[in-house]
Order: sequence, then C-alpha cells, then structure tokens
Amino acid sequence: MNWLIWRQYRKTFMIFGILLLAIAAFIIPTSVHYWHAYQHALANAKFCRVANTCPPFDSQVFAGHASLVRHLVLAAGILVPLLLGLFLGSPLIAKEYADGTNNLAWTQSISRRKWLVTKLVWALGFALLYGIILTLLTTWWSRTSNVVYADKFSSNQFDIQGLMPVAASLLFTGVGFMFGAWFRKTLPALGVTIGVFIALQIAFPNYIQPYYMTPVTVTAGMSPNAINDKIPQDSLIISINVVAKNGKIVTNNLFPEAPLRCQKMIQLGGVPPNGTTKGPGPSTQIITCLNKAGFHQVAEYQPAYRYWDFQRIEFGIYLGLTALVTAVTYGLVLRRDA
Amino acid sequence: MGVTAIQTKGLGKRYGSFWALENCDISVPVGSVSALVGPNGAGKSTLLKILVGLSRANAGHGEVLGKVPEQSKEFLSDIGYLAQEIPLYKSLDTESHIKMGKHMNKRFDEEFISKRLGDLKIPFKKPVAKLSGGQRAQVALALALAKKPKLLLLDEPVAALDPLARHDFLTSLAQAMSEGGLTVVMSSHLLSDLERISDHVIVLTSGKAQLCEDIEAVLREHKLLVGPSDKEPDDGFEVIHGTRAARQSTLLVRTGDKVKTSPDWQVHEPNIEEIILAYMGQGRDLNGGSK
Repeated sequence: MNWLIWRQYRKTFMIFGILLLAIAAFIIPTSVHYWHAYQHALANAKFCRVANTCPPFDSQVFAGHASLVRHLVLAAGILVPLLLGLFLGSPLIAKEYADGTNNLAWTQSISRRKWLVTKLVWALGFALLYGIILTLLTTWWSRTSNVVYADKFSSNQFDIQGLMPVAASLLFTGVGFMFGAWFRKTLPALGVTIGVFIALQIAFPNYIQPYYMTPVTVTAGMSPNAINDKIPQDSLIISINVVAKNGKIVTNNLFPEAPLRCQKMIQLGGVPPNGTTKGPGPSTQIITCLNKAGFHQVAEYQPAYRYWDFQRIEFGIYLGLTALVTAVTYGLVLRRDA
Repeated sequence: MGVTAIQTKGLGKRYGSFWALENCDISVPVGSVSALVGPNGAGKSTLLKILVGLSRANAGHGEVLGKVPEQSKEFLSDIGYLAQEIPLYKSLDTESHIKMGKHMNKRFDEEFISKRLGDLKIPFKKPVAKLSGGQRAQVALALALAKKPKLLLLDEPVAALDPLARHDFLTSLAQAMSEGGLTVVMSSHLLSDLERISDHVIVLTSGKAQLCEDIEAVLREHKLLVGPSDKEPDDGFEVIHGTRAARQSTLLVRTGDKVKTSPDWQVHEPNIEEIILAYMGQGRDLNGGSK
C-alpha cells in the first residue's frame, strides 16, 4: 500500500517540494536583506535623531518593493496550506472514485480500512512536515516586520507565524480529503474547500479569535493619543469606542448627544461660539469640551503576552477540526457503498 | 451444502425508494462458469458488488465461499473481481500494476502475470491509458487471475470491446479456467458473449433472479409449443412466455420431465437464447404489471 501511494503521488509530492524550494529561495535572501536594513536603520537613528532628520522608520527598513514582498510572504504562509487541501487532499480520494480505481484497490487482498488509514497517514504526515518547514520560513522572515510594525498579533501576521501554518496545512488537507470523499469528484471538492477556507478566513479574525480570553479594557479621555498610550505595544486591538456619560457608545461623529456648546464648536470646525481666538487651539477646545461633558474612550485589547496562549488555543481548535473532518471521512469511506 | 460457491437468500438493495435488487435468490455451484444475464439496469452490477463486498445489501443474506462478503483481507484474498469500467491507474504502466498487485496481495503470482501479459505482447512500460481497450481488459483480467482467486466475478468485461478483443478476452478466460479450481460468474446483457464458455445461467430482470440453473437442465426442461390459439396445452406446464396470434399460439413452457402433450401441439426444442429471452420478457411483464 505504501508503495502504491508513493508511486501514485510521487509527482504531487515532487511538485509541492519544488514549490517549497521556490518559497525558500524567495524568503531566505529577502529575510536577510530586511533584517540588515533594520539593523542599519537602528544605527542610523542614533545620528538622525540628534539632527531631527529621521525619515519614518518603517519606510527606511521596508523600502522599494517591500510591500509586494510582504504580500508574497503572506500569500505563501496563508495560501500554501489551502493549496495542500486542493491539490493533495481532494484528489487523493476523489480521483480514485472518479476513475473507479477504488474498486480495483478495494478488491485486492487489503481491507478498505487499511487502505484509507494508510492514505490519511500519508496525506496528514506530508501536510505536517510541509507546514513545519513553511512556518520555519515565514516565522523567521517575519522577525523584521514584527519589530518594525509591531503587528505580529494582527490576523494576517498571526496566521503565518508559529503554530498556525502547521495547523492550517493539516486542517485544509483534511478538509479537501473529506470533501473528496463526500462528492467523489475533484472539482466540487475543490470549490467547497475554497469556500471553507474563505469562511474560516472571515470567521476566525472577526468572530472567534478575539474572544479566546476576556479582553483587557482601558478608558481614557477624548484625545487620540490618550487611548493609544494606554494600549501596550504588540497588542491585538479589538475595539476603540467613544462612550457618552450615560455609557452609550457614540457612533455619530457630530456628537448629537453632546451639549450644544460642544456641538457648535464641532460644526464650526473648532472656532469657539463667542468668536475669540485666544486660548488653546480649536480641536483641543473641542476635546476639553467633550471631556467635561463626560465623554471618554474605551478600548478592548488582547495584550501581547497572550500571543502564545492564543497560538496554542487556535492550534488546538484547528487540530480538533482536523480530527473531526478525518472522522467524517472515515465514516464516509467505510460506511458508504463503493 | 459445501458445494456452493455463492448462495443468496432474499437479497435486496435499495437506492432511495428504488429496489435495484429485490428478493434475489441465487446459488452457484463450485467450479461452474455462470453467465449472469439480464437487460441493462436489471441489477447485475449491484449483485456482483454485493457479492464482492463493495456494497452492502439492505435485505436478505448472502454467502460467498462460506463467508459473508466484507472488505477484509481474509475475504478478499480468495476473490477476483473485475469492475464494469475496467478500472486501472491511468498514469501507471503495466509493470507498475504488476508491482501493485504484488504489494497488495500476499498470494500474488508475479511470474504467471508477467508471462501471460508478455505472451499477449502487452507493452510493459506504457501508461495503461495509452493501451487499447482490449489490452487494458487483458491487464485487468490478468491482475484478477494472478491473485489466484477461488472465485472470479466479472462485470460485463467485454461490453466495451470490439469483436476481436472480445474473442481474445474470452479465450484468455477459457484458458485460465482450464487450469481448474476456479468458479466464475460473468455478467453481460448479451448471452452470445457467454454461451461458449458457461455451463450455468442466472437470468436477472428488474432485480430478481428469474432463472438460476445448469444450462443443460434448462435446455432439457423447456419446450417450445406451437398450437391452435383457441386451445390450451395440457396443464402441468408452466408457461414462461406466450405469443398468441389469431391462428396459432407459440408458448415457451417449462415441462419438467414430462414430455407428453396433446396432439394439437407441435413440440420444438428451443435454444438457450430463446429460453433466456422468454425469461427476460417475463420479468418485464411482471414489472409492468406491478405498476
């Protein structure tokens, strides 16, 4: 059975191997390059800060085509697990059904169970190994952007680092395999696997991930800096809301709930109603006015020290889902007629 | 009984509300070559799939080589099966298929299959997708035979072949059977495919076995009666199929061992094809009548 799987899928394994080599050939030199650019910018900062001529730090490090490079790395970390599902997982069983070769295999002197388990072990084993190498590359690449943008907790960066590429590789391979067994045709299995991928890409960062643990809440006055200063670096910010005295969230930026005095200032773009221009600037006056009226800002966030807890929790969820789809596959293949 | 290779009782298979196989009783003696005939959609493939364990019956009971069919190594190692579409791994060559057989069967006769396919001049290094239909069928048959099965189930293996390839395939099969110890069930919707090599016949129509007997006995016990249409032949005959025209009736009857009829009726010996067609017609009438 192992011999047959190797013989049937060695081409697929080889193509995925070449893809991984291409990713490595792209990631290794760019990772080295941007890390050097970062070190250089750090050294440079000592001098330009004195002269107050520092260009923005991120544009020093990620100059030129950096945005394209970052997106390609994101694509590698996020889309490659999907490709495993599409081109390894789905055809692994759907193509056998479509060609009728399952009937050939299942009438050799081997049980259907052993045939299925061997296939699953190969598919998930390959996905595991692949995911590990992939995450080593993408996590290592992200070291520079993690310090420059402080965004490793943001959904895309979270997905391409640590345990997540491994989790996604396993899950999507399992999902592709399951839908292959379900539809018995490669094309619909591909379509639905892509659908599941998109659904998870939307659901996890928006509705699931922020709530693994109770978010930390902080309150501050109305100035933009007041709230940002209270949120530690590298945090996952879930929401920042303006709240009125009565505790209601303010969504209208003309502040209809505010006292008339403040509203007029806002309408006039910050010129005080009595026409004087003395005192602090107009926007500061609005802020003071709103603060006095009891308006404040409330932020919810997940602090950076929870990063690995979140990785472990999401990894656990993905593994659980992988186990679930594998169990469904098992039932589908063994219980249904050929 | 010990001498039956296959025994089914009340076997049924339902797809949704449609019974593809219903109350099907067959019995196949060890060492026989059974022709499983019936029109398209009669349930031949369904029956064979149940017998090899690829499908599960919804009703009744079947025993194959003394075991209930299941997808286990013990059960499958004694059975050779060739599915209707003659499935092979398209991108693999013949040699790889032989290796596959070796890796997946503990009793695989590599020497036999290599020699056999070599004699048939089948290319070993070409992907099987590039072989002709006849060559593919030969590869698939050889794979099934190299397992050294006690029972070989073939599902319309010659349906897609041209006459020459059909002849070659049946010759190969006959040659394999001449080595003995093999029971064969082979389905077709054309009896003429199977007449030459089979000694037992199963007629399946709309999911039921209409006939399951030795061909010799079938020939002996059926007569074609031609007589006046206003009279019935002597009772005690089971009329399988009748054509009644204005002047005369033609009846295919099962006489059992009796051969006496009234002098009004002429007795003819039907050939096996006529008998089988009569049974197929019976199934169709039954089917139409029940609706």
